[in-house]
Amino acid sequence: MDAVLRGFREKGLSYLIVGPFAIVLAFPFYVMVITAFKQQRDFYDLSHSPYWFHKGPTLSNARFLFDETQYTTWLRNTAIIGVVVVLITLVLAVPAGYALARLSGKLGQSVGVGIFLTYLVPPTLLFLPLFSVITQLDRQTSHLLHFHLRGSIWSLVLVYPSFTVPFATWLLMGFFKTIPRELEDAALIDGASRLGTLVRIVFPISVPGILTVVIFSFSLVVNEFVYAFTFISASSHRTLSTGVYTDLIRGDLPQWGAIMVASLIPSIPLALLYNTFLDRFIAGFTGGAFR
Amino acid sequence: MASSDDPSRREGRYDRRELIRRAGAAGISIGVAGSGFGQAFYGPLRFKGRWLKGDLTIIQWAHFVPAYDKWFTDVWSKNWGQKNDVQVKVDLILNTLLPARAAAEAASGSGHDLFFNLSPQAQFEDQVINHAEIVQEVQRKVGKIGGLGKRATYNPKTKKWFAFADNYVPDPVVWRHDLWNGVGIAPSTWENVRKAAPKLKAAGHPIGIGQSAELDSNMALMAFMMCFGAYVQDEKHRVTVKSKHTIEAVKFMADIFKSGETDEIFGWTPASNNNFLYSGKGSMILNAISATRTPEDLGLPFADQLYIYPIPKGPVRRMGLEHVMGSYSIWKFAQNIPAAKKFMADLEINYKDAFVASKFYNFPTFPGALPFKRIQKLAAADTHKPRGKYQILTTIAQKYTVNPGYPGYTNAAFSEVFGKFLIPKMFAQVSQGKMSAADAVSAADHDFRDIYTKWRKLGKI
Repeated sequence: MDAVLRGFREKGLSYLIVGPFAIVLAFPFYVMVITAFKQQRDFYDLSHSPYWFHKGPTLSNARFLFDETQYTTWLRNTAIIGVVVVLITLVLAVPAGYALARLSGKLGQSVGVGIFLTYLVPPTLLFLPLFSVITQLDRQTSHLLHFHLRGSIWSLVLVYPSFTVPFATWLLMGFFKTIPRELEDAALIDGASRLGTLVRIVFPISVPGILTVVIFSFSLVVNEFVYAFTFISASSHRTLSTGVYTDLIRGDLPQWGAIMVASLIPSIPLALLYNTFLDRFIAGFTGGAFR
Repeated sequence: MASSDDPSRREGRYDRRELIRRAGAAGISIGVAGSGFGQAFYGPLRFKGRWLKGDLTIIQWAHFVPAYDKWFTDVWSKNWGQKNDVQVKVDLILNTLLPARAAAEAASGSGHDLFFNLSPQAQFEDQVINHAEIVQEVQRKVGKIGGLGKRATYNPKTKKWFAFADNYVPDPVVWRHDLWNGVGIAPSTWENVRKAAPKLKAAGHPIGIGQSAELDSNMALMAFMMCFGAYVQDEKHRVTVKSKHTIEAVKFMADIFKSGETDEIFGWTPASNNNFLYSGKGSMILNAISATRTPEDLGLPFADQLYIYPIPKGPVRRMGLEHVMGSYSIWKFAQNIPAAKKFMADLEINYKDAFVASKFYNFPTFPGALPFKRIQKLAAADTHKPRGKYQILTTIAQKYTVNPGYPGYTNAAFSEVFGKFLIPKMFAQVSQGKMSAADAVSAADHDFRDIYTKWRKLGKI
């Protein structure tokens, strides 16, 4: 009986602490859902609570989004850019992170910190020079590629790794350091090659770290605005972050309902993804914390 | 008797030499005649301006009257493209993103053929072509450019038209008649506004004149200054902001803020004052007529109570700025300069459709393109209540609208002051109690002088 009471007290206390946090964090999602189904005139009626329907729910915002904007194209563009950038990031950051983790002494540490520092340079400083770089590339390659790099989603695919790779490398470096060298040594003694050791021993243990990189890089790409806005001007090539901002605010009139529908749709799979891999995600982030 | 072999007697039959001779003569005749008629050799042209061929890319703001965008992209640009055999591509972006986009295009030397901005961008003078040819072409067809358009886009020092302004937007005061009636005052003078402000705020309906780093705050506050006899520069482009008039204006606006506004005005975007009004909370803003058109479209309950007036009269005069100076620039690196020039000229020459599509928002910078009398007629026919309320726009446009930088021209130095939002900063520092009016004006004067010195050295003013 005492044990039951103690358990209840402990859990109750946990809920007491977690409950308010959960409410605060879930509140924006609640507002998003309510607003997504509100009628336009409801937004301008301040005499009623903004947290519930006054004129009844409507699907007109979703209809507007899908019928009168290029929302599905923005979703597709974002998904393509996200997947390709994540792949590029993994291809570059996994070996780089591993090499840096195994570089002994201060050199490895300094190079790792140096790489991470490049991540901290804000896009607001970089977007002009990078726009020039893309323009130059476009001039040189448009005849060969038969399409313009500038203004296409592929310009973002080229630019985004400039901030995903440094962060992912630094993150993975910390993670690889937590893997005992003895495991690799044992595999090498048993006759495995260096590559075989990496593929059979190191990578399977590193799944939480790699998964963290995947989710984090994808989120960075989905949220990025400055480059996406500068490099792309045609609505049909826009990503979610710029499409919603530029096409759903018509002059002085934000299409609040459509904006919320547009935000809600991608946030659901992302939230599910985060929750499904939550434990591994935390392990990935804290992997290098103690070494 | 003539032989039957005599060529002159053989009707309809020619030997090879004769055939070549006649065919040659006919060819030369057609060729000579054809030099006067372009299509003589190959029939009539499908489109008149076929020589323009190619693509034309345009970037401009998503208009505050969305119907204009639909007309501009789906009707005007499409039809113009077909007539001129040019593929026109229009990219619409949010107005607040235009400056960054312009900077990126100028820095990289690559971008759209026509770049639209909401205010003249004199600082890009070296990166753009001289737009004189377009001005001359439009003047040839519809008459002289208005003084406002000229002073906003022409540099008298370098004799260069650094932009082509197709339109400007009168900037009235938009106010809730029912709410102001409740306090028994109308916003005809700034003194009236100051008197009514605390009463309106107490009734839950504050005034909304922005003091933020954004376009509307810039326009409203510079116009407000002029009503007090305060100017950023004089007609010779010398900094004149440090004056007792400016100090008085800054103090006056701080009074209005303290008694009749809320902190919201320090964080506003160009759409904030509109939304402030649409929410039913705001009682008065300085804004173009999008602030009345949107409530009409949404059927908001107070749409009929939104009245428009000229800017309130100040202690010195009644004088306002345009709300938007719609200016297109053609970069030197533009890919299709001939098409860009023709597009602009044709748009202006046929401006009536643009005016109607913008629901009377865009006024042509060339008065001859749509004379005020015709604007007056069109405005009188508008059925929204109170009926005929848009007729006042012509009075505002003719009597109370000047260019940014008045009494001087809009120049690169002024554009930098404008683009850095130094005027709203000066007002906000006093309203927020961070500086005295005299100190804020002195600080602004210091900043302005640095900017003007820089551009003077560069030979632009």
